[in-house]
Amino acid sequence: MLNLFLAELQRIWTQFRRYPGEAIGGIIVIILLFYGLFLGSRYVAGPGFQFGSRLDGIIIGYVLWSLVLFICFEVASNLQIESQIGTLEQVFLSPFGASKVFLARALASLTLNLTLNLGVLLIILALTGSRLYFSPSLLLPLVTVILAAYGLAFAMGSLALLLKRVQQLISLFQFALLFLIATPTETWHGPLRILGLLLPMTSGAGMLRSLMARGQGLDPGQLGLALLNGVVYFALGLLIFRAAEREAKRRGIIGGY
Amino acid sequence: MKALEAYNLRKTYRQRGQRVEAVRSVSLAIAPGEVLAFLGPNGAGKTTTIKMIAGLIRPDDGWVRIGGRDPHNDPEALRMLGAVLEGNRNLYWRLTPAENLEYFGMLKGLNRQIARQRSQELLKRFGLDKRRTPVQTLSRGMQQKLALAVALVHQPRLLLLDEPTLGLDVEATEDVKALVREIAQEGQAILLTTHQLQVAEALSDRVAIIHRGAIAAEAPTQALIQQFSTGAYRIEMVNELDPVRVETLKTLGAVVQTGRVISVSRLEDLYPVLDILRPLPPIRVVKDQADLTEVFLKLVRQDAESIPG
Repeated sequence: MLNLFLAELQRIWTQFRRYPGEAIGGIIVIILLFYGLFLGSRYVAGPGFQFGSRLDGIIIGYVLWSLVLFICFEVASNLQIESQIGTLEQVFLSPFGASKVFLARALASLTLNLTLNLGVLLIILALTGSRLYFSPSLLLPLVTVILAAYGLAFAMGSLALLLKRVQQLISLFQFALLFLIATPTETWHGPLRILGLLLPMTSGAGMLRSLMARGQGLDPGQLGLALLNGVVYFALGLLIFRAAEREAKRRGIIGGY
Repeated sequence: MKALEAYNLRKTYRQRGQRVEAVRSVSLAIAPGEVLAFLGPNGAGKTTTIKMIAGLIRPDDGWVRIGGRDPHNDPEALRMLGAVLEGNRNLYWRLTPAENLEYFGMLKGLNRQIARQRSQELLKRFGLDKRRTPVQTLSRGMQQKLALAVALVHQPRLLLLDEPTLGLDVEATEDVKALVREIAQEGQAILLTTHQLQVAEALSDRVAIIHRGAIAAEAPTQALIQQFSTGAYRIEMVNELDPVRVETLKTLGAVVQTGRVISVSRLEDLYPVLDILRPLPPIRVVKDQADLTEVFLKLVRQDAESIPG
């Protein structure tokens, strides 16, 4: 699996830098976005969720939102692109199996995306002399959110595999994502509280809000529930994807566009 | 052990509420080093069969074994399979030939070192070693050779080639044909589909013709051609024959077609006919030999007449 991840990382990196104009354009967009945040244009961080009023909170809010958006549509868009260029069937001929290959691809894209974003962030910090303070404990809830996001990504990928064209659904799904990430379910009570725990990503996002905006500490019980939420959604996403693969093979539509 | 065994494959689709039998009871086997040309008109069920063999379409019935393993349930079967599907659309266009080979090698389970080593060997062998530009800038012929190299990078036992010479110029077609011959000589089994029947005739040891989802004929290529050859002889003369000779030839059973072309159906009648023609100058005397195109058309038409609808 490590070999496969490295192969995907190398392929994605080579494709990214093959046309320098395009790569530089992408980096300039990231620079402008972060610079906008630093200049105080908080609306850039995404619609209506800033984890506190401090710059640290705004940055975390933006990074989380862009990461979740990026992850959730990664498998579906990858499937559509491969289907268009005609390499999708070769992926399904890999002895690793399609779900492992798409997972390796998603992780490799995430690595490249994070590296670029963090690289730009560090350069801006150095240039502006600003300082951001993040507790390492933020990483744990972030991981639970990312796990659930990958689960949703595989569910979206399943739709792309069976329906082929899912752009309209993806646009609609962005609103659902906004609800999942931005709604303060941690303040809900009673049966709604249970619903909040069952929804994907909400527990992890809530913990991040508590940590950043309210200055609260990490609650191990809450973290356990968030982790369980992430693992369950991730496993569910993979199961749905495998079922979709079987169905696509039964209908004979793998590779068609 | 056979490189490929496919038994009684069936596939039915639903299209606009109708059941369409794409493949009905297709069985194929290929030994190591053998080239089987899998021919059929458009919509006959070739692609569905190939994709069932590759594990990309699940058959309703029947089974497939590649080197004794089931590609639908056993990932090891996919290590023994290489495929060039749908012309040249099997490559990453932003990557160079070497990068494509190395990536696909690892996707097939090779480690980086072996993938790189095989990639270098194949680039040299296929004459692609000087191509350090992205695939999209290569000629169609080079892209097709690279697609073939990519399918071979993990040294599969069975190679599926779907229209490998489609859209290639004469030189590139000859290059690909030579490579396919070489690969078969090295012991790899090849299942080849093509609409260019002269390519199939030149490369294949055996032919299977599929029509309306079922195998209409399967035989060694040369045996099939012989079976459809009439054995008649055709004599073309420089000048038109005089009426006396025409009448005499008719009594021998020869058919004078245009006044200058004579058809003789049996070898024992050939020399008496030539005696009558003496001393008139002939252009040529040829034995009527069918080619795969004729065989294909005859079989497909026969089959169309025998199956209503």
